[in-house]
Amino acid sequence: MTLVLTSLAILVAGAVASLALGRVPRLALRTAMSAILASAVLMALASGAALLGIESQAPRNAEWMLPLGAVSLALDGLSAWFLLAISIVAASVAIYSPAYLRSAADREPVAVFGALLCALVASLTLLVCAADAVLFLIGWEAMTLTAFLLVAFHHESPEVRRGAWMYLVATHIGTALCVVPLFGVLCALAHTTSFSAFAEALGVAGRTTPVVLFFLGLLGFGVKAGFMPMHVWLPAAHPVAPAPISAFLSGVVVKTGIYALLRLLTWLPPLPSYCGHVLLLVGIVSGVMGVLYAIAQHDLKRLLAYHTVENIGIIAIGIAVGMLGQAAHDPTVAALGYAGALLHVTNHALFKSLLFLSTGAVLNSAGTADLERLGGLAKKTPVNAAMFLIGAVAICALPPLNGFLSEWVIYTSLFGSALQSHGLSAGPAAMGILSLALMGGLALACFSKAFGVVFLGAPRDDSVRTQPTPAAMNVSMMALALVCVFIGMAPGLWIPLVLSATSELVAATAADITARLDSVLATGVSLSMMAAVLAGSAAGLVLLRRALLVRARRSNPIAAPAIPTWGCAYSNPTPRMQYTASSFASSLMISFRGLLWPERMATAPAGAFPAVTHLETHTSDMAENDLFQPIFQGIARLFAMARTVSWTGESGPHEPTRPQSSHRMGPLRALALGIVGALRRGTIQVYLSFIVIMLVILFLSEAIFSPGATRLMTPPIGQESTIEGSNR
Amino acid sequence: MNTVWVMVAFLEALAALALPPLLMSVIAKTKAWFGGRVGPPWLQPYYELAKLLRKNAVYSETTTWVFRAGPIISLAALLTAAALVPVLSNRSPLGFPGDVILVAYLFALGRMFTVLAAMDTGSSFEGMGASREVTFGAMSEPALFLAFVVLAVATGSLQLSQMLGPTLLDEWQIAGPAMVLVIGALLVVLLTEACRVPVDDPATHLELTMIHEVMVLDHSGPEFAYITYGAALKFMLLGSVLLHVAIPHPESFVFLDPVLRVVELVALAGVVGVIESAMARLRLNRVPLLLAGATVLSAIAVVIVFARRTL
Repeated sequence: MTLVLTSLAILVAGAVASLALGRVPRLALRTAMSAILASAVLMALASGAALLGIESQAPRNAEWMLPLGAVSLALDGLSAWFLLAISIVAASVAIYSPAYLRSAADREPVAVFGALLCALVASLTLLVCAADAVLFLIGWEAMTLTAFLLVAFHHESPEVRRGAWMYLVATHIGTALCVVPLFGVLCALAHTTSFSAFAEALGVAGRTTPVVLFFLGLLGFGVKAGFMPMHVWLPAAHPVAPAPISAFLSGVVVKTGIYALLRLLTWLPPLPSYCGHVLLLVGIVSGVMGVLYAIAQHDLKRLLAYHTVENIGIIAIGIAVGMLGQAAHDPTVAALGYAGALLHVTNHALFKSLLFLSTGAVLNSAGTADLERLGGLAKKTPVNAAMFLIGAVAICALPPLNGFLSEWVIYTSLFGSALQSHGLSAGPAAMGILSLALMGGLALACFSKAFGVVFLGAPRDDSVRTQPTPAAMNVSMMALALVCVFIGMAPGLWIPLVLSATSELVAATAADITARLDSVLATGVSLSMMAAVLAGSAAGLVLLRRALLVRARRSNPIAAPAIPTWGCAYSNPTPRMQYTASSFASSLMISFRGLLWPERMATAPAGAFPAVTHLETHTSDMAENDLFQPIFQGIARLFAMARTVSWTGESGPHEPTRPQSSHRMGPLRALALGIVGALRRGTIQVYLSFIVIMLVILFLSEAIFSPGATRLMTPPIGQESTIEGSNR
Repeated sequence: MNTVWVMVAFLEALAALALPPLLMSVIAKTKAWFGGRVGPPWLQPYYELAKLLRKNAVYSETTTWVFRAGPIISLAALLTAAALVPVLSNRSPLGFPGDVILVAYLFALGRMFTVLAAMDTGSSFEGMGASREVTFGAMSEPALFLAFVVLAVATGSLQLSQMLGPTLLDEWQIAGPAMVLVIGALLVVLLTEACRVPVDDPATHLELTMIHEVMVLDHSGPEFAYITYGAALKFMLLGSVLLHVAIPHPESFVFLDPVLRVVELVALAGVVGVIESAMARLRLNRVPLLLAGATVLSAIAVVIVFARRTL
């Protein structure tokens, strides 16, 4: 815990120093990044100690009081697991950012960037270590605001402002409508804001309250996590943020929604199985639709953002299996499900950060992330290509990398759930297996497209100039890739770390969990063995190929020349004839058009010598266009009615034009429109007079209808006592 | 006794690794017989492999190391999978609970690297093949995994060598219809993954209509030998899974087991040859329907085995 407090202090100092050094932006940025790096090392140590059970997990309370709450920090297994993910991503981003922002240092306020990044890491740390509702909400809000400011770093372009704004609005709607009420109810039930009292209070709270709280949490935290259909901010905010910030958003910020949901589950008593089924459904929809939308994208960062939705879906499936296991009183399945979800949290943080950083390197060297314009980058930036490939193999859950490990545990938990449940109640688990398999295949299609189009083949656009990747970027990506490979090759060393976090969720001791997951732990060794077999056979095949080629060259010393790709007898192929990203995805788009509704605008070539023709395809997000946009437009129209307030009585500058109705207006409608029109044209004095009239009506009605006229003046009994209580 | 078993297992593994090209030859012979031809010699696939291994390799100037890594990683993934799949007996060289998922994802790893190597050439034809391969691969995956669910429920195990073991004999008596449906689904998966008619026609003469063959157009020499052998190996592995479900052998067969399995594999190759001779390749936009059909078949099988447990 001391380590965590120290790292928080370092982060604050780094932020202050970075702002103070604003005159020398590069130095300021380096100071801030060094602070992040140092604190990340400390946090990794702290979480490692907590996960291995070296440090005690009692909450540490500070002396100073917050208004309403207390400064109480605790580092239990669950917090430590997320802190580990935060520290790894923070460290790699800290190494990466100075190189990424090098060219921007003279034009943009990179010192502020450094300070904000320090603040973001600090608020994330505060968030996952908070043991008090108020402190948690402070961390939650600080994280949202700093992340918003960082997303809006390149705020000159309207696209960036829109993405950042969507992020801010979406998370605040979730916070205001669900998260704050959720904690309000919890604090009211427990009569305190301390996390430690919540579980006990909920144990005696009846059967409906936990379910309601769970659904509040699912909605409120789900916005942050990006469950479908609350994911709309992800594909808007990720592409416009600077690449290290995208990595941070996807790797860590999104995961705080998962953390909060899991934290909520530690307080709730075992929920009825339909809650698990709902979450499973949410996970399946997020996963399948997320990856389908990802395949449809033309922008690499948008593609990765939709993939985050898919992976959050996979995590949700794991959590759902855990909940189902608890509902069925089967701790083994529950432990497997939660362990799989938690493993996927860190694994996704690792490979998604790697992919976003690699995309940043693509942007840095080619200046665009447009899939239709890129190509052949593997020749220009070989290291970056290898890093993206490692990330792609990991995210497709292919052995022997880390993505396979977590999906394998989730599959095992699903199979376990299917085997343990009775009769047709195993159906949901089978659905989960089916959709996980489909997601795996579709993710493979998606990343074959992404890697193949960007890095392989020949450049598609001559105007794209490429420059090499700076070494610092490569180093930070290599570090992430190494961890991915390490976890995949030696899962036996990594799985034990997740057990103490899992034990928080299944309410069992770590030793009990270890006993239950004995088979999985034993399998860790088998997976390493299979990885070794794979690597060994690959190495053998490489050596065999080399020996054979050497022999063949000896017998025929004339070296075979490098020739153009076989164009199926067409002798003059050009790079523009390559398969494009859209054409690669089209066969899947056509097969799944019933789910995606892609738009296609084409003018068909006609005549013997056709003129210039045009084809445009676009897949818009259904949740954004058909669900939220109508709702928000309706709300905006409502507010627009009251917006034209001014002291002078003139109408505001943004008066929306009302569509003229063509048909004859009825008398009632005319009256209503007349009243609305009169209201809208009103000056502030008119509105004030409305308030006075309203108050008079209220007073009169109270005086007439209530039996005792004095009741209005004295507050109700309960309220009085709370006021007294707070005074004491 | 133990050494004897190790020897037997070693010989089995060698025989299993030597078998795949022969199965390709059986398919070719069957098709030739239907066409009224004699067909190539029985050992022709082996001759071709030997020829390719002696040759030098030619590379397109567009390609990078990914193109060279593709065949190697694909074949390495298939060889690793081969260590987990029981082929000539009820045992597999290696195995652990949950290896069934690893086998499926090793196939996927091989697929991804074949596809990437194809895209590395920058050829539109190979891109087309790659796009079709990933599309059909993604759609066959649910059918395969649902079939695994049936087998897992039937045997109570997640280890492939046990899921395909003699316990299935009981399952045939209790839930026979489910097993028939699983065989149907697995056959479609086999034909898709091994790129045979009606999904893909390896004998077609037009690059535009190929899937697997067009992806490997630019490979040559030893690397093409790896690819050819890998395709045959994949056919044998998936075929073995199908056969172990269709015809479970009791433990008592012991030494008769490998011989019978070879005969069955040859017969399966013959059946595939008959399918290829009797029907044409489906139109590409019909293939997703076939794969969805396979998924539905195994879903019904899942429902049957789940319902059977409630009774």
